[in-house]
Amino acid sequence: MACVASRYLEDGKVLFAGTGIPMLAASLAQKIHAPRLSLVYEAGGIAPDPSMLPLSVADSRTTFKAICCANMPEAFEMMQKGIVTYAFLGGAQIDRFGNLNSTMIGTDYHNPKVRLPGSGGANELGSLSWRTLIIMNHSRRRFVEKVDFITTPGYLDGPGARERAGLPPGSGPAFVFTELGIFDFDEDTKHMRLKSLLPGVSVDDVISETGFDLIIPDNIGGELKPSMEELQILRREVDPWRIVLRRGDKEVH
Amino acid sequence: MIISEELIIAVNREGDNSHMKYVNIIEEGKGEIFSKITPDDFRRHMLSKADRMNTDKRMDLREAIRLFVHSGDYLSIGGCSIVRLPMAFIHEVLRQGLRFSMAAGTRTFDIDLLLDNDRISALDVGYILGLEMLGIPQYTRKETVKRLSQGFLKICEWSNGTMAWRHKAAAMGIPFLPVRSLAGTDSFKHSAAMKVKCPFSGIDVILVPALYSDVAVIHVHRADKYGNCQIEGMLNEDVDKARSAKSLIITTEKIIDTDEIREDGSKTIIPQFYVDAVVEIPYGAYPTNMPGMYYCDVDHLEIYAKAAQDETGQNIKNYFIDYVFGTTDFNEYIEKCGGLERIKELENIEKMERRQ
Repeated sequence: MACVASRYLEDGKVLFAGTGIPMLAASLAQKIHAPRLSLVYEAGGIAPDPSMLPLSVADSRTTFKAICCANMPEAFEMMQKGIVTYAFLGGAQIDRFGNLNSTMIGTDYHNPKVRLPGSGGANELGSLSWRTLIIMNHSRRRFVEKVDFITTPGYLDGPGARERAGLPPGSGPAFVFTELGIFDFDEDTKHMRLKSLLPGVSVDDVISETGFDLIIPDNIGGELKPSMEELQILRREVDPWRIVLRRGDKEVH
Repeated sequence: MIISEELIIAVNREGDNSHMKYVNIIEEGKGEIFSKITPDDFRRHMLSKADRMNTDKRMDLREAIRLFVHSGDYLSIGGCSIVRLPMAFIHEVLRQGLRFSMAAGTRTFDIDLLLDNDRISALDVGYILGLEMLGIPQYTRKETVKRLSQGFLKICEWSNGTMAWRHKAAAMGIPFLPVRSLAGTDSFKHSAAMKVKCPFSGIDVILVPALYSDVAVIHVHRADKYGNCQIEGMLNEDVDKARSAKSLIITTEKIIDTDEIREDGSKTIIPQFYVDAVVEIPYGAYPTNMPGMYYCDVDHLEIYAKAAQDETGQNIKNYFIDYVFGTTDFNEYIEKCGGLERIKELENIEKMERRQ
């Protein structure tokens, strides 16, 4: 999942990375094909040297040989002013419009079934960057008809909704990366659409793990499986301590 | 859409008062505002402490807490997640049984420790109950839901950005800032933000109320006896938290001469005018990361994270007895965790990066 996602990160762009797998994929991209991908971390680390995977969006590896050590307002203001092309984040639940929930499971905000960490920087990433990239595990529990709580805006309830809500025009989710496939959003309806499958995955697999109607186009791409090079770099250079890799599906949200 | 009130801005047009322009509150969140300090409260308070600003503020931690920290205060803590947290302070307020309303943008380990012991009555939430890549403390999560449902814990929903901008508005001495995130979401609905149409540009903006704190506590690399502070690495929200707290306690790895501060004033991140107490605590951020000095002790954090998986709470109670309530001070805690030998290992891990 991280390997496939990393291929979509373009060299020379500015990427805002959220905690967890996004940082892993971004790190891998920098080492393989996008050495001039600049990462912005919300605590203020701007474009650090990508030598070691940070454990936290704030730790010293996010400021190692960085262009500058800024503060949080400055990092988010870069996004607010349009400098950040991509924001990369995960979520606990997602719906067909790419809205994300990382706040609570249940129906009552004051008595939730489960209280999740909250937005963190996710709301800013989803509201202010030009293109939001989402990476998360794929299951019916997560890909739901309606999220219990909209923490982070996707396309809200459809075309024009972001603009009506007052979010900056032209922004919104671009891709969703899961261990089953890559998804984008139909230009007219803003519904999530299957774009390509990961190796060994069938359309039926995807449909059975998705709790809403996905658009299944006639032409579906196929992603290449992680190459030896990608895996080696991931294991030896990006995350040698297996901080993220061994977590598997363990909850971060 | 809720139109609840109208703020009326009168615009004089060549003496004709009949043209009135309105800034409507288009929508407002249901959340409660926990910090009631106003800009004028803050101005008066800063004047009242002006005379102390050129005094020697060095004292020990217990004295600083005795003078400047009280149960019921609105507390903001510096650092971010598992980086540069004032851990000695956290442990001491835990030992002393103090309770707070708190700012919880970018919080992990510190908030979780306080939540585990029911020391928080109200939270402005950006991020809580997570340890980033180290997972979720299940006990803390369960306890928090219990207290929420029983009404013993109040929360108001924000995001890291809106929390940072709330601190920034207070640091500017103003009552709110207009920003562009939070719109359209349930996060907004459960916040205390308001949506208006900007009277200048016509775009919709989200107004976030300034967050003035009773107390802020920040751990820094170097400070002089007046409280001029140098910090390395990320600054997170500390620039603004320092400037918007009625009382500011600085814990520092090292107290340095004012001459060293004056050698390069551009390194001063927090000037003395905001500072009430300076406490020298070497390794005062352990087990969190002190950029440039020592890395976080992942092993120790995992001891906590693992203990917090036991939803009965027995393991976490043992953690606190072992490391906090059963220790008389922070030095004893560090000894229990491997002492200077362990610190040396963390220093080497941190510096490994420097040599690459």
